[in-house]
Amino acid sequence: MEEKEFDRLLKTCRIKLTKEEYDKIKNDIESIISYFNSIDNTQCQENPAYHPINIKENLGEDVPKKFDNVEGILKNTRTYRFYIVGPKI
Amino acid sequence: MTETIEEFASVDKPPSYYEKLNRDINELNNRLHAFNLLSKIDRGVPFSVKDNICVNGVESTAGSPILKGYIPPFDATVVEKIKQASFSFIGKTSMDEFGFGTFGINCDTPAKNPFDEERVAGGSSSGAAVATAILKHHIAIAESTGGSISAPAAFCGVVGFTPTYGAVSRYGLIDYANSLDKIGVMARNSSDLRYAFDIIRGTDDYDSTCTNRAIENFSTNKLTVIKELVENVDSEILEPFNSLLDTLKGQGYSVEYKSLEILKQSIPAYYIISMAEASTNLAKYTGFKYGHKNMEFTENYNLFFTNSRTAFGTEAKRRVILGTFVRSASVKNRYYFKALNIRNTIIAALKETLKDSLIISPTMPVFTPKFSEVKELTPVQNYSMDAITIPPNLSGLPHMSFPYTYLNGMPVGAQIVTDHFNDYALISFLEAWEKSFKPKFKYNIGAI
Amino acid sequence: MKIGLEIHVALPTKTKLFCRCLNQDNEVPNLNICPICMGFPGSKPMLNREALRISLSITRALKCKTNDRVSFVRKIYFYPDLPKSYQITQLYEPSGFDGEVNITGKTIRIRRIQLEEDPAKILREKNYSLLDFNRSGVPLVEIVTEPDIYSEDEAHEFLYELRSLLYYQGIDIDREMKADLNISLADERVEVKNITGIKNLMDAARYEIKRQSLLIEGGRQVLKETRSYDESRKITETSREKESDEEYGFIYEPDLTEYYSIDVNIPVPIIARHIAHELSVSYGFNLKTLSELIYFDKDSLRLVEYAKNKYDSQSIINLLEILKRFDCTSIKDKVFDALMDLLKRKIDITKETIIKLEKGMQIESVYSSPERIDEIIRAFLQKNTDMVEKYKKDRKVYDFMVGSITKNFGLQSKLVSERLSIVLKDIIDNN
Repeated sequence: MEEKEFDRLLKTCRIKLTKEEYDKIKNDIESIISYFNSIDNTQCQENPAYHPINIKENLGEDVPKKFDNVEGILKNTRTYRFYIVGPKI
Repeated sequence: MTETIEEFASVDKPPSYYEKLNRDINELNNRLHAFNLLSKIDRGVPFSVKDNICVNGVESTAGSPILKGYIPPFDATVVEKIKQASFSFIGKTSMDEFGFGTFGINCDTPAKNPFDEERVAGGSSSGAAVATAILKHHIAIAESTGGSISAPAAFCGVVGFTPTYGAVSRYGLIDYANSLDKIGVMARNSSDLRYAFDIIRGTDDYDSTCTNRAIENFSTNKLTVIKELVENVDSEILEPFNSLLDTLKGQGYSVEYKSLEILKQSIPAYYIISMAEASTNLAKYTGFKYGHKNMEFTENYNLFFTNSRTAFGTEAKRRVILGTFVRSASVKNRYYFKALNIRNTIIAALKETLKDSLIISPTMPVFTPKFSEVKELTPVQNYSMDAITIPPNLSGLPHMSFPYTYLNGMPVGAQIVTDHFNDYALISFLEAWEKSFKPKFKYNIGAI
Repeated sequence: MKIGLEIHVALPTKTKLFCRCLNQDNEVPNLNICPICMGFPGSKPMLNREALRISLSITRALKCKTNDRVSFVRKIYFYPDLPKSYQITQLYEPSGFDGEVNITGKTIRIRRIQLEEDPAKILREKNYSLLDFNRSGVPLVEIVTEPDIYSEDEAHEFLYELRSLLYYQGIDIDREMKADLNISLADERVEVKNITGIKNLMDAARYEIKRQSLLIEGGRQVLKETRSYDESRKITETSREKESDEEYGFIYEPDLTEYYSIDVNIPVPIIARHIAHELSVSYGFNLKTLSELIYFDKDSLRLVEYAKNKYDSQSIINLLEILKRFDCTSIKDKVFDALMDLLKRKIDITKETIIKLEKGMQIESVYSSPERIDEIIRAFLQKNTDMVEKYKKDRKVYDFMVGSITKNFGLQSKLVSERLSIVLKDIIDNN
């Protein structure tokens, strides 16, 4: 994989690597991808179902139900006047 | 001496019993690192929870530094159910970060194998297996994506049971790969296993993929050995496995051999799907709403996120990058969609075999390795250790690893697989097996 | 010139798309939240049945096709307002595709209709951002058109038709509508993102047409780019770098299953344009007058449908105009009932009957009561919030407002003029 493409991937997933990590992981990823390429010629059925079993649909009813531990959610975060503080945009 | 949880639960225990229990676990845990966090109990039957399953008000990190400090404000559905059944929460069990590992070493303090502390406990539910191997009366709520229950269960000599995908609610599970993740149970015997599974299975208004299909118990005395699952197994493991087959034949089972060429594709298909899904699940960790906190709010969000995400371990980073790659628009057909197609082809092939038989194999292709040995493995070598546990996991098929012999003092496990929703057939199989085999344990904390 | 629109409208469900939190804005931030709409680790989505039903109903109203099964995907991108760093939306089997909306002399094709979740509300501060997750997880329908709109007038008419179609689905897109605008005068397409409200959308389009024309006239190139609209300065400008399809890396949402759209029971949608056309052909209504009266008024439509075989078109129009005077007032239902009663009793609609009816409703006293007039004025201003802003800058708008209210509600202009200044002062002082 070209360095440019690898860097683009890193940017896409917001991952930053140290110099040592960079060479090691890039190398690993190249060998894993070439391992993945072994599926190229596999004969298989065209069925991209995305669960291993058939699941009967489950739907939620449009009936409000208040979550009883909002405080527990907010305790995890940093808040300011009930707003959650996030990074600058 | 009580053997099963049901017997144990019917006996009155004085406060001193629990005091000793807490003390003994704490002491041994300092050496074996089965638990990331221990909670003192004073009544009931102890249950432990893998650290990627939420317990209300208890730090849940999924073994990752990026979730350090995350206090879930709710119970996972399984935890809610088992609490209601008067079990007591004893602690969060250690694991490979987000479940990314076969040996339990991708975390700060890896759990050690109670039979030989220089050897790994297996992963990713390493702590759950160790806890089960040291506690006499206890249920471990564990989770498997690609073999995370079977592998450590085999290395630690306990029963590891992975139900059909969707049979147990995943609500409250910190996701690795949502179409593959299955919450299951580790226990010491079939009675405890059945007891726990009866409690935790069933539909849930909070998990769309949890089904209300009836769980069946279609029994058969036909066993199938699949060539592709045993061909790369080390000979020191293959020999006792062949003796196991002889023993089972003596108990009335028939054994057939068969080749399923397509299974060779299970490892790449599994890793493609699991990494694609994992890379989206791990996108949410950006360092400000929960867990690891980045306080540099003045940085632009992109830099803020990128800096926060350096807290991931190496294997997590590798999988996020790879997962992002395989679902990129330009290669998605080649990897992601192709892997889905392969999975469905494998499922069809396995289900055909499972119509009238159980599939049996060793659980792991190697003897329990030392920590020093697994450090040397490349990622691809490492992934190939999952060759036997991946096919049933990829296919959402119920499977179970059970101890069947001891080699040089270490337990060895075998895996049996049955068809979707035929979960109880595995427990029945184990009940029959227990008549001729009694597992051994080095520790029996809490025995009465 | 080619314009394509992506319009997001919030659905009027009681709860959010994937959890049971109230779908309701709140003055207190982060009140209607739970682990699911916060994207907390361990939580999972459960699709709201009603939201799915409404999305399929819109699909029908916009004459879209639907797959037997509807599925969802994860669209991955990073922004502080997006709790899971992916949005659950639709791509491979959306709620609808290949539809159309008719306007005068042509058809605007609808490419896709998808059901998705709204991110949180984000406020930009100097050194950080502030987030309110009350809005996170609100069900949205995104309507994507083909680039079939060729002029400002067509855009106007399309939005008018769409508003009416959605009005009959219980959705008021005047309230809170967000849109992305794709516009190309030359070869390259410019995308203007995150425009709020129809008025801003038209302003942004006008600005882009002018900007791109000037570039072309000057012999310069229009760049393919994403821009954003600045409401206060009324200009578009180059915006932050956004992920492209390559980076979104869509995958199926494995926490959700497929949904069988054929099992959902959907009544035949009301398309006011077709109904008005049919009525004018069959019963001799003036198309324009009738359209204006029924495009955004369910009651009027009911009244016409009931009366069309029993009364002549002019009598019916007269009745509708009475009803219209009570728009936005608390006694509209009462007036409607009185009119229906009149029709049921098959009473002739003459000048006398109308006067009698008005007397029966004590309309005269209503007209002269300052409270009633204030109520009407406030309702009018609520619907036309920009009027107040305009008035602040330019007092001449006053007469225009008096005119509009007088005409719309059939009031006396002297009374309106008296009360309007008092109401305006009150609104401005209290804001």
